[in-house]
Amino acid sequence: MSNSHLFLKSGFPRAPLQNGLGRYVCQLQRITLKFCKNNGSSRGMRDFIENHLVDFAKENPGIVVYVKPRRHRTPVLVGEYLNGDREWLSCRNSTQDEISKWIDLLKTQNGSSSSMRLRKMWHTDVPSIQGPWTPFLLRSPDANNQTLPSKEASQPFDIPQTATEKLIELFKQQKLEEGKAGDEILEQKRAE
Amino acid sequence: MSLLRSVFSIIALTKPINTAGTVQTRRNFKRWVSPTLRELAHRVKKQGPQKPEPRSGFLEWNYRSELFAFGKRLNEEFQLPILQIAFTQQAYANQEQERQRKLGIAEADLQISDNKQLKAKGAHITRAYVEAYLQHSLPKLPPAGQKAITSYLLSTETLAHVSMHLGTKELIFSTEYPPNSETLAETLQAIIGALADSSGVDRAFLFVRDFICTQLNQKDLLDIWTPEQPLELLSEICNQRKLGEPEPRLLGDCGKNTLLAAFQVGIYADRQLLGKGFGENVQTATETAAICALLTLFDMHENRRPFDFQIQLETKNVRLG
Repeated sequence: MSNSHLFLKSGFPRAPLQNGLGRYVCQLQRITLKFCKNNGSSRGMRDFIENHLVDFAKENPGIVVYVKPRRHRTPVLVGEYLNGDREWLSCRNSTQDEISKWIDLLKTQNGSSSSMRLRKMWHTDVPSIQGPWTPFLLRSPDANNQTLPSKEASQPFDIPQTATEKLIELFKQQKLEEGKAGDEILEQKRAE
Repeated sequence: MSLLRSVFSIIALTKPINTAGTVQTRRNFKRWVSPTLRELAHRVKKQGPQKPEPRSGFLEWNYRSELFAFGKRLNEEFQLPILQIAFTQQAYANQEQERQRKLGIAEADLQISDNKQLKAKGAHITRAYVEAYLQHSLPKLPPAGQKAITSYLLSTETLAHVSMHLGTKELIFSTEYPPNSETLAETLQAIIGALADSSGVDRAFLFVRDFICTQLNQKDLLDIWTPEQPLELLSEICNQRKLGEPEPRLLGDCGKNTLLAAFQVGIYADRQLLGKGFGENVQTATETAAICALLTLFDMHENRRPFDFQIQLETKNVRLG
């Protein structure tokens, strides 16, 4: 994003009027081709009008095409959309192929794309299918019968083993290996 | 005289020779540009905000082509004279007749037809189809809910929104520009009437389905219609469907006697969980749970099957009255 786009309107890609859900409606409603009859910069536009414009109008009966000659001015494409947007494109020194491509772009978009910055390339009205997390979600059924405050419920799940406990465990294991009950030895030691 | 001319020519010849060294081409903005623009901006500011100009006032405007393209864009076959009548508002027709009468045009030529009849016809068709569509899509919904959703779809705002996005704004003959939302909505109904006249009621039904019913897509139906007194309605529905008496039970609570207390209540009928709900006290939570249960029973909960906008309702199911 450059400095000139700081105040550009921003938004998300959206289909106007649920377009395409029932039937598809081409959003470009009229296009105006402005050109000069003898200036060199309009040469591509004149070629386009001569060779492709009638076919374009026949293929797209839903788009009203206006052709407006004017003297010594740069050739211009102006598209008007159903949502009220108006897109202005300078076609100075463009060839007829380039103009065909630009017109194809105007035809296939659903508003003036150059006047909006897309924040994301996608959008959803339902960001989470599961819904928000709540403290009641996936709770153990035991929690219903617990009387609070309870000691188990108040301490963390992951208390690490203390050094003393570890030592006692090691000692018991050693005594078991020797064939004596560890507890008895421990009692003896304590009595001493 | 000839002497004078020769003197002038000599002066003209000598002048460039004298100034040849000092002349240079200047490639900057002229000194008058900035004050002129400033003055123009000042005048624009003084005039205040201007009304939007109607597109029909532009040089490149052909109403007949626009009408033709309007039908083609929507993939419909309109008879252009009927379509043009659909775009003519009654107020505009009256105003135009008055204007022509003042100009001295004979009474016989003053007949300008307006869209009043087409509008009535279109409104009738639209209502009939929307009701049939909702009956088909939400069969378990009680009549009150269907009525609320129908009136949402047929409200002036919804119809005006649809009408605006179909590009009627520039085509309407009305006394004011831009046309207000009522005019837009009426014109949409008139267009539906014109479509029924041009290519039959079936095409008009499909038009309503594709452009008006689709407005329900991804809408939260609870925003459009919330059942009042949900607990009573729920026990009534449960009695009707023989599900047993609904019984609210506390599922959990959190932060009792604090500002941030939260209760979760579930509604059971015959040991089956019907719905759950949260609230800041037990009563609110019970009502929320009842609404949740009702939504599930009426098949309009959040994760319901999406509406089918491709169905072809049989014409006999649409009650045209």
